[in-house]
Amino acid sequence: MGKETVQLDPILLEILNRKVAAAADEMAVTLQRTSRSTYVKEAADYGTGIADLNGNIFGYPARNSVNHINRFCGPSIRAIPDLKPGDVIVTNDPYLSGGLATHLPDLHMIKPFIHAGKIVCYGWCFIHFSDMGGRVPSSISPSNHEIFQEGLRVPPMKLVRKGVLNEDFVKIFTANCRTPDANMGDVQAMLGALHTGSERVADIIERHGVATFVACQKALQDYTAEKTRAVLRRIPEGTYAFWDYMDDDLVTRIPLRFRIAMTVADGKIHIDLSGSDPQVRAAYNVPTLGIAHPWLMMRLISFILTNDSSMALNAGIYRHISVTNPAGTIMNAEFPDAVGIRHAAARRLSDAMTGAILKASPDIMAAPSCGASVPFVVAEQSPEGGKPAVQVIEPLRGGMGAWKGHDGADNRENTMNNMNNHPVETVEADAGVVILSYDIHPDSGGPGRWRGGVGQRITTEVLRDGCTILARGMERLRFSAWGVAGGKPGRPFRAILNEGRTDETELSKIDQLSVKAGDTVTFMMPGAGGFGDPYLRAPESVRTDVERGFVTREATADDYGVVITRDGQVDDKATKKLRSGRVRDNIRADFDFGPEREAWEAVFDDKTMEVLNTGLYSLPKSVRQEKRRWIVSQAVPDLPVAGTRSLAETMADPDAIRARLVKAMAEVFGDERAAN
Amino acid sequence: MAKHRCRIGIDVGGTFTDFVLANMATGELTRYKEPSVPADPSKSVERGLPPLMELAGVEPENVELIVHGTTLLVNAIIQRKGAKVALVVSKGHRGILEIGRARLANSYDFTVQKEEPLVKRNLIYETESRTMADGTIIGRPARGELKAVAEQIKAQDIEAVTILLLHSYAHPEMEQLVAADLRKRLGKIPVTESAHIWPERREFERSLIAIMNAYVNPLMTAYLNLLTKRVEGLNIKAPIYITANNGGTLSIDTARDRPIDTILSGPASGVVAATEAAAVTGNKRLITVDMGGTSCDMAVTQGGEPEYTTQTHVGDFPLVLPVVNVSAIGAGGGSIVWVDPQGVLKVGPQSAGADPGPVCYDQGGTQPTVTDCYLLTGFIHPDHFLGGRMHLDRKGANKALEEIAKKIGIKGPDRAVKAAEAALQVTTAIMSTELYKGLAQRGEDPRDFALMAYGGAGPTQGNLLAQEARLTQIIVPPAPSVFCAMGAILADVKRDYVRSNHLKFAEGKQAIKDLATIFRTLEKDAKAWIKTEGKLLGKAEFTATVDMRYAGQAFDLQVIIDDKLRSKPTVEGLSELFHIEHEKIYGFRDLESGVEVTTERVQVTGKIPPITLPKLKRKKGTKAAERRKVFYEGKFRNVPIYHRNELGAGEVIKGPAIIEQSDCTIVIIPKWSAKVDGIGNLLITADGKKTKKKK
Repeated sequence: MGKETVQLDPILLEILNRKVAAAADEMAVTLQRTSRSTYVKEAADYGTGIADLNGNIFGYPARNSVNHINRFCGPSIRAIPDLKPGDVIVTNDPYLSGGLATHLPDLHMIKPFIHAGKIVCYGWCFIHFSDMGGRVPSSISPSNHEIFQEGLRVPPMKLVRKGVLNEDFVKIFTANCRTPDANMGDVQAMLGALHTGSERVADIIERHGVATFVACQKALQDYTAEKTRAVLRRIPEGTYAFWDYMDDDLVTRIPLRFRIAMTVADGKIHIDLSGSDPQVRAAYNVPTLGIAHPWLMMRLISFILTNDSSMALNAGIYRHISVTNPAGTIMNAEFPDAVGIRHAAARRLSDAMTGAILKASPDIMAAPSCGASVPFVVAEQSPEGGKPAVQVIEPLRGGMGAWKGHDGADNRENTMNNMNNHPVETVEADAGVVILSYDIHPDSGGPGRWRGGVGQRITTEVLRDGCTILARGMERLRFSAWGVAGGKPGRPFRAILNEGRTDETELSKIDQLSVKAGDTVTFMMPGAGGFGDPYLRAPESVRTDVERGFVTREATADDYGVVITRDGQVDDKATKKLRSGRVRDNIRADFDFGPEREAWEAVFDDKTMEVLNTGLYSLPKSVRQEKRRWIVSQAVPDLPVAGTRSLAETMADPDAIRARLVKAMAEVFGDERAAN
Repeated sequence: MAKHRCRIGIDVGGTFTDFVLANMATGELTRYKEPSVPADPSKSVERGLPPLMELAGVEPENVELIVHGTTLLVNAIIQRKGAKVALVVSKGHRGILEIGRARLANSYDFTVQKEEPLVKRNLIYETESRTMADGTIIGRPARGELKAVAEQIKAQDIEAVTILLLHSYAHPEMEQLVAADLRKRLGKIPVTESAHIWPERREFERSLIAIMNAYVNPLMTAYLNLLTKRVEGLNIKAPIYITANNGGTLSIDTARDRPIDTILSGPASGVVAATEAAAVTGNKRLITVDMGGTSCDMAVTQGGEPEYTTQTHVGDFPLVLPVVNVSAIGAGGGSIVWVDPQGVLKVGPQSAGADPGPVCYDQGGTQPTVTDCYLLTGFIHPDHFLGGRMHLDRKGANKALEEIAKKIGIKGPDRAVKAAEAALQVTTAIMSTELYKGLAQRGEDPRDFALMAYGGAGPTQGNLLAQEARLTQIIVPPAPSVFCAMGAILADVKRDYVRSNHLKFAEGKQAIKDLATIFRTLEKDAKAWIKTEGKLLGKAEFTATVDMRYAGQAFDLQVIIDDKLRSKPTVEGLSELFHIEHEKIYGFRDLESGVEVTTERVQVTGKIPPITLPKLKRKKGTKAAERRKVFYEGKFRNVPIYHRNELGAGEVIKGPAIIEQSDCTIVIIPKWSAKVDGIGNLLITADGKKTKKKK
């Protein structure tokens, strides 16, 4: 054993490891079986766990999404000083629960588990509810800018008092959401899960004794911390800065930057997010409250678990990770910022983390995944009037990033969630659409010695007038998933109305798009980043890709330097000639970000962004976004909407733009800072 | 001659082919094991039958029925060793197998890979043929399109063609049209419509059933032909039946046409046997644990019926056919014992399999397994394993477990055996947590159940598991390691039929009329089929389920309906059944949303005349055959060893004790006792506790 020696012998530790994880898993199974929410059934957007007396999770099931391994139950527990046996705490508010909740649709519960009259641990669970009230059905909209628009806020309070349901809470709760019956059904599912957990904990205590059970809570976290550190030691020591962008925040056209500086020393990680852009007047903010919050570390956790699949899942996994994350950045939202779509930001932060780890060593991490996932929804006006019928057509997927030695997975992806799609036959039976095509998106995977995964491509015809298309989460229309170690970026997101017809229109991000009977909408999901020089890809692999349709024959020469004949064979001679005659100056040895990001950073480079953000953070929050918008509009007055005109074209004269930028910053911040 | 009528059940496993012969006149059972021949499983059948019949004292002409199960097909799918299949789809949907249900096998691993599809995308061809959900045809084969498809197929050495057109589950016409056209052009290459094999909505799942059926078809046909030839060569004229996924059996002709219905039959047969064996013990609620050399499966039976599921997997692929609900639980005799770099003891999930197997097999295995732990603790005897057919290497196992002891800090002369016991404790913890989880998935409390332990290692581990999981009774059947072969001859002939549609009760009487018609049609098809399945069968019985949901919900609940509702469905009757089920699971009724029916299933059963299991003579006071040192709870104890074939009905053996039989070893721990019942089951219960008898 290493320095952080566990208290229990290594046999009992493993037995209790299995048992507490299984107890938490039985909670999950109970919840999953008795919840009717689609979020639970299809998207697995729920969690269960068992927390120690400080509120840190020590028992966690492998079936839960790993985004939540530690939820800080501590602040919510401490908010209820008179907690008694038989009580259950409920909350959904990120700001009032100390970061336990991260947006309002997630309703959390905590129940003290009792042995001999004393609290020995806490059961915890949450479900993403279908509706928590607020401005729009389902409570989430990117254009919300205050949390008050996002639904009913529940501060930590008692849902159950000494075993009796708090009817006052129930009345307020059911009066404030659109689906009260289904919601109360899910509340019962959660209470059932907590009950299961308390029974299993009682079993463990009966079998092994309360002292052992209490000792295992710390011992298991110590064990995991030690195992985690062993993995983190595989990252070479040093400081690695990296950043990535969301195309914009929907309410402006300005790219939104996520900057991470990761310092690694002896298996300890420090993450500095202070270079990230300010919070936005839209629902993309992430409420992490400045703490080492799980939503800041998803990719790191994925890295750890990929490297050690025998890890006991608990809060110990975070012990050697610390964070600097000042208030007011996109990754540390301040009350009352809207947070409904915080996962879009967390996804891009994960890509930035991916880059930081790759910078440390390209051998230990994959290129970024496609970077977007979109629930494609059609809202149909019913012929009799009344509520529109809302139907999710498909959750659209891109591909996974390639890594040293392997292509990335095509048209499936697990970065943020890993949910089932809907059978075409079910969708067409339920909604007034025909899915004309649901297939792969050829050439979208980033070329490389190992190819990035391609995205999906779907074309849907709407059969009735008066329909609205919703597609939140459209991202990477402008900035592609980048290539690594000589690999190329994936193709960006595209959406087209009436493709191939005379009224064909390229779409930018869709908030709500009205369509009429006969219209078709095509989504081309972005591909993931490639890894390694595509000119080193085995010609036979390129041939197979062409044969199966992942790469078109037309693209192989440009993308791979491989010539495929009309009858599908590798033309060895032509390939050799092409590969040896390559122009060397467009090879990016480390990262290939693609032309759009290069054009943007010709002006808005790291240094400039630091000056801009330092200036903005010195301003009061109330004017920050307004000034940011004004400065950028002075510099690039014709900044296009993502997915339309290219930045390379718009920003063809970077010197002029930079001059305007410096002038605008000087005007806002005063001369000294801008001249810096 | 009639008085010597007998039936033979045969189960082909990875290491052994198991035989059970039931003499219908005397009720006597004869068991036999023959080493398997993985390359040609019928060879071991041919080799094993003569000695089996000789042991039982019967002649080939006495055999009235042979029932056979094999894992040949599931292995062909896992190893991707089936036929080269082409798929024809509606235009725009060539991605069907690439996209699948869009889920990856793991939610955090960034190196996760997709399963390799059974048909590569270049062998998926498009046709303009397209039907909408309501049956409207919006595309027909383009001129020359199918001719071109046929030519491409012919150029590719394709062995079978599957047609998957959207909405064929309810509107099969276009699929039939395309298939008929291609059949004409392709000559001998078999062409199958997806809706012909299993007309259920959900194109990916339906396509998989049809593709897998085509994929294993040549293999199954060749195998069954060879098997028939070999059995006939032994002068046995009896019909051969093949075990099915649903716990039933199928005639050889049906199995040849629909190999997909037999693909997961092995474990299902064991559950059928468990259900039958438990019937006489008064236990109506059973957890079955089938623990073998490499795997461990659990299932649940209640009220004399195994539990079914329509959500299972064959290798990497989902399977929506109704099958006996058998799920793997994480440990078997071959599970590897190891220590992580932090010094914590682990068991599994890696398995040493049959090759190289445990260290004590002395076949090159170096990592200790659970079987090695059984050997060191004295649970199993090195010379009595598999009736003495295989000598186990105790020295090798000891050396491997000494390494484990060193890594987890166990010292002293007994360190290896202490490590072995520790590993068994971890194994038991893993199994009991998995078992609890399995029951939680069903919303059941494990303590209401008895444990039926079988398979080569099940009875060795069963008592430890029951104690940890706090189950009150373990049942060990007379021949635990040939239980699947036993189940084969106890099973009835069964087949499932399905229809998918979208019947909305809110839209008036037509929906219920349609439902009645569907049930009539399904019943008619089922009746016509069962008539052709053989002369042995008694009266046909039907059971029916419907999948229902509230309008606007994305998922269904399956409700079992009785004969009356099946023959005369009513909106009120069906809705009420659904409301009750919904309320039971989700805690409320939704009276505002309309109720819809999405899928109907009918299972037909042709009863095989039952076998009366032989009574065991009463006899008490059996002496221990020998004693040996067995390590348990930290020390060696001198434990009596009994031979199972010497025990009579009514005998009671107090633990600690070991009961050996030719095919396995039964461990009884201190403070538990085993009683032999009237047909030779061992009922092991905790001392001082009354066995709960459940209704």
